Amino acid sequence: MKKVLQSFFAPTLGLVLALLAGTTILVCLGESSSVLWEALYNVCFTDFGLGYTLFYTTPYLFTGLAVAICFRCGLFNIGGEGQLYLGAISVVVVATALPGLPSIVAVPLGIATAFLAGGLWGGLAGWLKARRGSHEVIVTILLNFLAIALVNYLLLYPYDNPHGQNPETLEIGESYRIPTLHTLSSWIGMPVFESTPANVSLFLALLMAVACHFFLFHTSRGFELRAVGQNADASRFAGIRVSTQTITALFLGGGLAGLVGVNEVMGYHYKVVEGFSPQYGFTGIAVALLARSSPLGIILSAFLFGILQNSARELEFLSERVTKELATVIQGILIAFVAAQYYWERIYLHLKKRFQSRRQPA
Amino acid sequence: MIELLASSLRLSTPLLFAAMGGLLCERAGIATICLEGVMIMGAWAAASVAFGVSDPYIGLCMGILAGMLTMAIHCWLCVNAKADAIVSGVAVNMLAAGVTPLLTKAFFQSPTNTPSLAMEDRFGAVAVPGLEALPVVGPLFNQPWMIYLALVLPFALHYFFYSTGRGLRVLASGDNPEALETAGISPRSVRWKALLWGGALTALGGVYLSTAHASQFTRDMTAGRGFIALTAVIFGKWRPLPTLGACLFFGFFDALQIRLQSETIQGWEVPVQLVQSMPYLVALIVLAGFIGKARPPLAIGK
Repeated sequence: MKKVLQSFFAPTLGLVLALLAGTTILVCLGESSSVLWEALYNVCFTDFGLGYTLFYTTPYLFTGLAVAICFRCGLFNIGGEGQLYLGAISVVVVATALPGLPSIVAVPLGIATAFLAGGLWGGLAGWLKARRGSHEVIVTILLNFLAIALVNYLLLYPYDNPHGQNPETLEIGESYRIPTLHTLSSWIGMPVFESTPANVSLFLALLMAVACHFFLFHTSRGFELRAVGQNADASRFAGIRVSTQTITALFLGGGLAGLVGVNEVMGYHYKVVEGFSPQYGFTGIAVALLARSSPLGIILSAFLFGILQNSARELEFLSERVTKELATVIQGILIAFVAAQYYWERIYLHLKKRFQSRRQPA
Repeated sequence: MIELLASSLRLSTPLLFAAMGGLLCERAGIATICLEGVMIMGAWAAASVAFGVSDPYIGLCMGILAGMLTMAIHCWLCVNAKADAIVSGVAVNMLAAGVTPLLTKAFFQSPTNTPSLAMEDRFGAVAVPGLEALPVVGPLFNQPWMIYLALVLPFALHYFFYSTGRGLRVLASGDNPEALETAGISPRSVRWKALLWGGALTALGGVYLSTAHASQFTRDMTAGRGFIALTAVIFGKWRPLPTLGACLFFGFFDALQIRLQSETIQGWEVPVQLVQSMPYLVALIVLAGFIGKARPPLAIGK
């Protein structure tokens, strides 16, 4: 129990400090801090606001898990952005190729395609790392550029929507669409989240978090993956194939990031819009760090980032002086605080020592 | 053709500054994926101050200062707080990407760009006497002075690394900090100095973008150049002169892509995205070890 509390300590401190810093910036820009509280209230406690918050929580859950599962294997997956774009476009590709399928086949097919497309892209990075010895950080960054270029090409040429004003693809057929939470709740007679894009992929994301937890901590494959992350050399001596684990971790990570496409394409836009992701992939790093790569912890931290993202948008409506980038700043500060954990721990130990020596004057 | 070359030189310049800055930091043993953020801060500070005081040189100084400050955050996190360099880099990138639009909005009431600079508040073209009058290659020698500086920089850095004691210390702090410590030199201070200088160089890339290449700061104007510069460093196997080659290569493809936009070759419209992604594709193949193996500084991230 003490250990659990301790693991909450640094992230909570970081969060409090980052929010304080955010408020300070707000005040420095000449905005009253009450606007922040109003925005936070709106996104957490109004039906409409909460709907959007849950909509943003979903991609953060996916990308947070995508980073976390690789972290657990000692890998840095910065490629979430590319993986999720590929996941999204692959849904459109499949939906265009096989338009006539009934929903019962189409929806699982769409989900599987998104997972596979992202997974193969991540797996490619894993293969390059494991077999060719390239560093996964730079490889995933390069693959991001390539994936986004590929997606932009596809949505401008083969899958271009001639009626759309923005660069975007054709819409996917009805059978590939998944219901929004509003539709779902209307079926059972308690309509909530009206005219918000929150959709059932949230449940898929939650399921994935639980599945990741089970995989990592209750299966031998998961154990092997974590062992490689702890000590690759020791794992090799113990007979674990490090390269297989590397490819597996990046494949799973890529697949999870690809599932963002389910939320965006099957659940909301019903098409791929150019630049739809406000850096979900990169923010996933922050989500995973805050949760210390614990899949269940990510549920909480993704929700937090959903609130943050949504309240920044809300702030842009409420305030004349602030742009939605305030959320990015707060996230940056948060990562910096959490990353500097060693420093805080040293200060904590130092204070503790001084406190104790004062208590017992020797 | 010569216009294409001149254009590739112009587009290589920001990459060169950032890559040389990154090279200095990486050789000192700190991974820098925060080049992007440092460039953005440099670009923003230079454009805003140059507009405010109507003097590009003061803008340049403030741009460098902003870059050094940004890199100092990264350095403090990595060296003093022992944070993971990748995590810290991501944090710095986010901070820079978020702070610049906020400040632009606060100062200039527009979230997307700073007001554009008058012609005399920018770095205009400087002709190299004699050379600019040459036939054919003349246009190459009539460019903003920062371009010439960028081209000299790799040679300076080469000399610094391999022919001076200080340079050797930087290399040692990246490859074997324990040895450096045994010799009575603190790797920590070497790293701090290297990163601050590296931050200044990287920021020059941003300054060039907003005050010489363009005439204002626009949101996300670096457009991934920091990451490309980092790739160039790795492509150049962490050596100044091959990195120069890599930057010129990436700059050339950038120029080519602009050139090929809406152009047709034998009735076939070349997809811009294909040309755009060529350098990344080549870099990926290089990184995969198909064209010689790259060896990073041994103690990087430790």
